[in-house]
Amino acid sequence: MIDIEHLSKHYQAIIALDDLTLQISTGEIFGLLGPNGAGKTTLINILTGLTRPTRGWAKIAGFDVVGQPMEVKKLLGVSPQEINLDKELTAYQNLLIYGKLHQVPGLKGRIQELLEMAELTERANHYVRDFSGGMQRRLLMVRAIMSRPRVLFLDEPTVGLDPQVRRYLWDLITQFKADGITVLLTTHYIEEAEILCDRVGILNRGRLIALDTPHALTARTGGYVVESLRNGRRHYSFVKDREEAHLRARQELQGVFIRRVNLEDVFLGLTGETLREKTAP
Amino acid sequence: MNWYPIFLREVLIFERRLLRLGYVVSALLMPLLYLLTFGLGLGRQINISGGSYLNFLLPGLIAMSSMINSYTWVANGLAMGRIYFRTFQVYIQAPVSPAAIVWGQVASGIVRGVFSSLILLVLGFLIGSGLKLNLLFLLSLILNCLLFAALGVVVGLRAKTHEDAINFSNFFIMPMAFFSGTFFPIKHMPWVLQVIVSCLPLTHTNYLLRSLIWDLKTLAALGVLLVYSAVSLVLGILQVRHYSE
Repeated sequence: MIDIEHLSKHYQAIIALDDLTLQISTGEIFGLLGPNGAGKTTLINILTGLTRPTRGWAKIAGFDVVGQPMEVKKLLGVSPQEINLDKELTAYQNLLIYGKLHQVPGLKGRIQELLEMAELTERANHYVRDFSGGMQRRLLMVRAIMSRPRVLFLDEPTVGLDPQVRRYLWDLITQFKADGITVLLTTHYIEEAEILCDRVGILNRGRLIALDTPHALTARTGGYVVESLRNGRRHYSFVKDREEAHLRARQELQGVFIRRVNLEDVFLGLTGETLREKTAP
Repeated sequence: MNWYPIFLREVLIFERRLLRLGYVVSALLMPLLYLLTFGLGLGRQINISGGSYLNFLLPGLIAMSSMINSYTWVANGLAMGRIYFRTFQVYIQAPVSPAAIVWGQVASGIVRGVFSSLILLVLGFLIGSGLKLNLLFLLSLILNCLLFAALGVVVGLRAKTHEDAINFSNFFIMPMAFFSGTFFPIKHMPWVLQVIVSCLPLTHTNYLLRSLIWDLKTLAALGVLLVYSAVSLVLGILQVRHYSE
């Protein structure tokens, strides 16, 4: 469904995306993981027509994103990182305008359907300005699927939300997959990538440094990680199994604990830095 | 060309803001102040070309108000929507042509400019200005709104910050409001200034709103506005077509 070949984006001296090659299959939930500035949003911006690549090409369902933008945009739904709803309009008006932009047939019925899906039917005629963050995110998410897209881009869809709303959105994303929609998801949340994604690509400084299923990526790094404190800094050792982890833990003196390897450890193993260290301002 | 959703969005926002009294007052404050101070204060004591100053001033204020309102609505809305709220990006990511995006914005700017002009017209009639309307007046007014709304698209898309759009207004739009024959006939200016001022589009709008007859001079003035409008529209469409963040 999505074919990306040697895609690069340079902003003068800054390389936002560096020679990325990637294929995403139809109906797949693909997760892009990486710290701030890794190139995740740049990739989504290129694929959705907001940014022109410096080099390389990308196709969606065989249509070139630069050469055939109108054909590509008919297939897409986008839920951006920032909530770009019209706060001065009601939930209904937001969906109405988006639906008209995408020339959605049977628009009124579709809007009612989406408001129900977002559990916002009662608030249809309320101004978005008065909605909570979670309600705005839900509205943004259903707006993205208004035109029944074949490819859905979700850029940090659950950032800043409480666990209950996050779980609700995860259920929605799982439903999208069941409907045959291809999903490209960026996230900082390790758990989100592990639960939702069929495959994960890890981006760092614009380069794709790992690509596989979450299970294969973690298995490659090791089964367990032993965290300890050495000279005031956290130290991580990756080991194959629990037995080896216990042996290693006995050699450590301070703040030792053992846990299963997750995708953050994969990033750590590849770059020597944690995602949180890289993401912190 | 699917421009209507873009226009509808702008009109719905305009409608919402109209409900706030303060917004309407602030949008019309400046032309109203000029009308009251110059028009009613000086207007009764000065004659221009055999007519009252109020009759001279009112078309100028309508040209100025329609220019400011059309331009400001579009330029500020686009700059803010693109840079801060990122609502403009929804259009770029939708299967809508660049021409539709630009025309939707421009049409909303025309509505805004015509609305502000209507208020001034009503006020003018209430205070007995004796202003006459005809097809040429209405056509020129709409063309003026179109031109400055299209210019608003160009500036709103180029601005790197919201201040850029305001700066353009301060350095280009506002001086034009004063030097293009809004408050006094340009024939009283030094000839060098007259040449410069005759290149400005608002000068031609002022001429057209005060002229009630179709002749070669009015056709030439309409032609100038059309050229400015066409250039601004084409520039706006090209900017949207080559949009890249």
